Amino acid sequence: MKQMHLVATLICVTSMTSAAVAQEIDFATDIAPIFESSCLHCHGEDEQEAGLRLDSRVNMLRGGDSGLATIVPGKPKKSYLMDVVNHVDEEMAMPPDEDKIAQEEIALLEKWIAAGANWPGQMEEVAREKSDHWSFQPVTRPAAPETKSNDSPIDAFLLNKLSERGLAFSKRAKPRALIRRASIVLTGLAPSPEEVQDFVAASEEDGAGAYASLVERLLESPHFGERWAQHWLDVIRWAETNGSESNMYRKNAWIYRDYVTRAFNNDKPYDRFLFEQLAGDTIGQGEATGYMVAGPHVPIATVGQEPTARRQARADRLDEVLQTVGASAMGMTIGCARCHNHKFDPISIKDYYAMTAVFEDIEYGSRFPELADDHPQEVRGAEIRAEIAKLREQLAEYGPWEEHWSAYRDVYFAPVTTKEVRIQFLQKSCFVDELELFGPQNPEVNFALASSGTTLDTDEEMIYNKNKGVSRVNDGNFGTESFAAKTQEGEDRKPWVVLTFTQPREINRMTISSNREDFFDTEYLEKLNTGHVANYKLEVKDSDGKWQQVAATPQYNNLNKKNKGRAKVMAKVQTLITQLYDEGPKIGFVGRFVEPAKSFVLGRGSPENPRDEVFAAGLEELSGDLGLDATASGDERRVAFANWLIDKQNPLTARVAVNRIWHHVFGKGIVTTTSDFGKAGAPPTHPELLDWLAAELMEPSTSSQSANWSMKHLIRSMVMSKAFQQSSHPQEKALAVDGDAALLWRYPPKRVDAEVIRDSILQASDCLDDTIGGKGYRIHNVKKRYAQWEVVDNHSSDTWRRMLYQERFRRVDDGIFTAFDFPDCGQVKAKRPVSTTPLQALNLMNSDFVVNQSQRIAQRALKDTEGDKALAVDRCFELLLGRPPEKQEREDCLAMVKEKDLSLVCRALVNSNEFAFVP
Amino acid sequence: MNNSEKISLHGRSLLNRRGFLSTAGLSTAGLALTSMLSADGLLANDKSHTVSGQTPLRPVIDPNQPYLPRPSHFDSKAKRVLVVYLPGAVSHIDTFDYKPELAKLHGKKPPGLPAVTFEGPSGNIAKPFWDFKPRGETGKMVSDLLPNLANQVDDFCFIHSMTTDTSAHPQGENFMNTGFTMEGFPSFGSWVTYALGTENQELPAFVAINDPRGLARSGKNNFGNGFLPAAFQGTDFSAKNPPNNLHRPGSLTKDFDRKTVDLLQRLNARHLQQYPGDANLAGRIASYELAGKMQMSVPDVMDLSGETAATLKAYGVEGGSELRGHYARNCILARRLLEKGVRVVQLFNGSDPAGGNGITNWDSHSDIKKTHAMQAEIMDQPTAALIADLKQRGMLEDTLVVWATEFGRMPFLQANGTGRDHNPGAFTCFLTGAGVKRGFSYGESDEFGFKAAKDKTTVYDFNATLLHLMGLDHQRLTFYHNGLERRLTNVHGSVVKDILV
Repeated sequence: MKQMHLVATLICVTSMTSAAVAQEIDFATDIAPIFESSCLHCHGEDEQEAGLRLDSRVNMLRGGDSGLATIVPGKPKKSYLMDVVNHVDEEMAMPPDEDKIAQEEIALLEKWIAAGANWPGQMEEVAREKSDHWSFQPVTRPAAPETKSNDSPIDAFLLNKLSERGLAFSKRAKPRALIRRASIVLTGLAPSPEEVQDFVAASEEDGAGAYASLVERLLESPHFGERWAQHWLDVIRWAETNGSESNMYRKNAWIYRDYVTRAFNNDKPYDRFLFEQLAGDTIGQGEATGYMVAGPHVPIATVGQEPTARRQARADRLDEVLQTVGASAMGMTIGCARCHNHKFDPISIKDYYAMTAVFEDIEYGSRFPELADDHPQEVRGAEIRAEIAKLREQLAEYGPWEEHWSAYRDVYFAPVTTKEVRIQFLQKSCFVDELELFGPQNPEVNFALASSGTTLDTDEEMIYNKNKGVSRVNDGNFGTESFAAKTQEGEDRKPWVVLTFTQPREINRMTISSNREDFFDTEYLEKLNTGHVANYKLEVKDSDGKWQQVAATPQYNNLNKKNKGRAKVMAKVQTLITQLYDEGPKIGFVGRFVEPAKSFVLGRGSPENPRDEVFAAGLEELSGDLGLDATASGDERRVAFANWLIDKQNPLTARVAVNRIWHHVFGKGIVTTTSDFGKAGAPPTHPELLDWLAAELMEPSTSSQSANWSMKHLIRSMVMSKAFQQSSHPQEKALAVDGDAALLWRYPPKRVDAEVIRDSILQASDCLDDTIGGKGYRIHNVKKRYAQWEVVDNHSSDTWRRMLYQERFRRVDDGIFTAFDFPDCGQVKAKRPVSTTPLQALNLMNSDFVVNQSQRIAQRALKDTEGDKALAVDRCFELLLGRPPEKQEREDCLAMVKEKDLSLVCRALVNSNEFAFVP
Repeated sequence: MNNSEKISLHGRSLLNRRGFLSTAGLSTAGLALTSMLSADGLLANDKSHTVSGQTPLRPVIDPNQPYLPRPSHFDSKAKRVLVVYLPGAVSHIDTFDYKPELAKLHGKKPPGLPAVTFEGPSGNIAKPFWDFKPRGETGKMVSDLLPNLANQVDDFCFIHSMTTDTSAHPQGENFMNTGFTMEGFPSFGSWVTYALGTENQELPAFVAINDPRGLARSGKNNFGNGFLPAAFQGTDFSAKNPPNNLHRPGSLTKDFDRKTVDLLQRLNARHLQQYPGDANLAGRIASYELAGKMQMSVPDVMDLSGETAATLKAYGVEGGSELRGHYARNCILARRLLEKGVRVVQLFNGSDPAGGNGITNWDSHSDIKKTHAMQAEIMDQPTAALIADLKQRGMLEDTLVVWATEFGRMPFLQANGTGRDHNPGAFTCFLTGAGVKRGFSYGESDEFGFKAAKDKTTVYDFNATLLHLMGLDHQRLTFYHNGLERRLTNVHGSVVKDILV
């Protein structure tokens, strides 16, 4: 050790001395003139192209927008300056559009950097400034202003601001408006006529008490979780298809949606909620990790064969993860730092790539989620597996057998020790994405893996093409990247593969498949691969060098014929396998894990331009060092990052969360740019209120019963405020001062979401199946692999569930509600825009759904009123608008009923402004 | 009730919101502060928000009348734009980009060409599958594959030095049509509609006419609104299929349909009394009147029965393949929409490949000779007739026409194959019409047509130029989204000035 150190020092000293001896570099005479003549015009005091100044050493250490250090003292090779003057990358060659500077000058720069980039008078400056932007400052709980009537802190902060502008709250809203507003905001469903009646009656007795119980009832409603899950799924643009060309369905991705609904219903503390979505696999909450793969991705099958395109595609996939985390949890546009330092916020390109290192073990795909041992699916799964194990003992008596696990075949045979294994296919063509060999000793160890040294041989001439090479057989990757071979024309020889171990191994089991991903990852495709494998003969080489058959496809049927008992047991096993998939843990598209690769800063965002290696970390500005290096396992990285994110000292997490909740309760965030708390975002209208809410989320002060980070507590505080309970009616004077009611002098009326329209219609017709959770309802066809999805049924009884459960496919128009700003789930959308278009009108007037439901609502109303048309009109108003009609309205509608029928009245009501706005 | 007439008038008067608001007695000060689409509480023209150092020019949009015409950033000849989009990648070297060198190298594999391309190993150079001849007065060399378009080269402005960032179709389509390879960004048509609104309030501002075989590989992305408000998405209809839910339900007569709308508007008018002057409510009322007008004007524009026999013949409605007939009708529809002042028409010639390799779009990995010929038969005559028709009607003076595909094809065949693989390094698009030089070719690919060699034109440059031709500054036409003033051209692109008149 000591010796090595000495040698290193010697080399160092020697090189320095030789440089010094060869030529002493003097900054003023040798270097400054180069910058002066070739660089400072664009990178000096007057202009800072690409955010770079070359007139101070500290700026060069920091680098420009590229995020790459212009100079790294002592390391010319790591200094970006040397790359650009040497025109390494044509697109980033300096000076631009000119020849290189003189070779002697380049040599001088190199020597100067090698010698430590000495710059007299500037050697002390190294400090990096901290941002003074508001959102990066710690959260402290401000004292609420004092008010006359002992208002809640939320109201006190708001009133304080209002009074500065000569405004005050509006009067309390009427009970009908209040229950409609609270029900839609909290559960996404309009109240039923009976709920309205009860509330109106109770309000006459005790307005405040009735409202408080209403809020408690709504918070406890299982529909609360559905509503708030929808908001969260929006932010992370969660969808059940990949996007991209084939836009394939993500199998059982909905288990994540159920997780989110449960989390809100059970009031899972927000810090736990975030932690589980980043590292739930470590604590038996595996379904939660669907969060990280919520965004779109391009499957490898459609990326193409060029290695550069494949590297780019992986970088894009990681970028989608970062966008999700950045926008939803951090309120930061991290993606800006992918190619250069963030222009506005203290996020460097190094921060970006350190964050990619956090997610290096995440890949888009499915896995069996980690569940608690006592989870009902785990328990049931264990039972079924035990039964299968027992049956296998019986099967072993009859010779080899093959279990059909849909995704793959599982082949069992008597233990045999060998060094070579041969699969001789008995058909003219074969596809194998993976083949695994296991032994009785360590049943989990796959001896076939290339990484264990096992080599392969095959008849190269039979391979379809170079991309389908035999190495696919044991590369550990499942899916479309398969080995494919076929008999040559005019020949008889059929494809085969020989696997040779490094040493003799005892084996008793093989799994083989042609495309395991198809079954595990997707559904609803024509020609879905459900485990097709060409017939084969499995052989091992014995000590005499002869091939001995241990199992073969034709053999299984013969054995069944011979032994009726075997066939019966076999059938039982297959039944149990189906049961296991149904009742045991569900494989679902919640991400799969891969071995983390090394992470580098990618110059200008290109995977072809790796620079310094980086390790998993949060934002440097927010003390994001996690103390990890490249040896940290994937889950260690995510656990550490999650803990950094939910630390109470992190100034972003709680602020972003409370602001988003505020946005959904009041229609507009305190920071209107709900996913951008950076400098380019909007400043808070009520900074103290925002901080008070953030503090209140982390540690409730107004309720002793609420846990830290309780979302229900926060939501309750908001909807119990006077601000929320005000009337929404306009006042001319206030409109003139604060037109969009940003200061909340009234409850700002807002359009309801697409989901509220659809769900409330179904509720009014009494068609709504309000089952919570589970697989969604289908509206699309079963499609060809590379076809676009088509909507085949968006209105019949199979679709009568809450729209949260409508198949959420990327960029597919559902034929009705996409026009209502239902998200396309491509890019992160902090919130839905609100459009008003004639296409919305056409959809809501003429779609089969509305026409059919209008009839059903009318039928229900007539039934409820025993055919009395006048009462039925009243009933329709109550069902859809939560109020009886006024006299003139009743007359208008009755005229319509007499001329035609009640369903037209319902059609008009469904289209009315009153139905489309939260009062 | 006899006031249905009155209510309709009332509804119509709401269309002119300024008039409506003044009668409703709402102070304009309040109105000015009501949230404008995209404003997000940020002050427009706030310099600190731009990445490129340019001041954003966000159109000021009344959320309740999003389609009102709005001024362009600067004067431009083009008032509307037609994009003919050819999914699957048209082979530039077999159509418009003449490379005599390929004949000499036919069957050889010169050094410097890649061993692996998108689909796998590469084979040898193949000369064009069709003969090239000089055409028109300019003598532009064009192959026999597209004889009708070839006749009009004197009107076209070719860009032979196009390059893209991806060799995969969906990403390529995204890039050409939305400026990003990734999902979810607003399409060119939606940007233009967002910026300019439209002249004709009774037709959709932006129409996407999809191929009779279905949507292209990026589906709705190609004409979607991404993160722009849904108001700006392309409306999807063709000569054969009207927009979703355009027609009243079959069970209703026109009279009862109208009566429902009148009842609705009476309900709305009463409701509005409780919220006097609420612009959002008024806008929604107006949207129902507008929808009613669309129910008349869309079937009208789709009705080709008034077209002359000569027109039908010129477009090739009859006499060719069935698909050509459908596409030809779509071409006529495109002209009719443009005539009526629709701002953006995007016309697709190809779909996703679900129907089989090479015959649903221009993708030609095998037997390019056959598959390109099948596509050309569908595309050539109707497209040429459409452009000629626009010219003949004087519409090329104020209509920009764009003919575009996502990348080119390789000068060599795929190993042991009969088709050409994807070539992101060089491809050809052409423009014609308002503001564009005629009979002009810009940029060059190298001697093989493998990579852009002279005046390389990126997709960013291309889109920047299209916006420029529409009177829009691509660096200043922005929409605030998640922390960024987003642009069609991201942070790149420069206008190709050499092709402008």
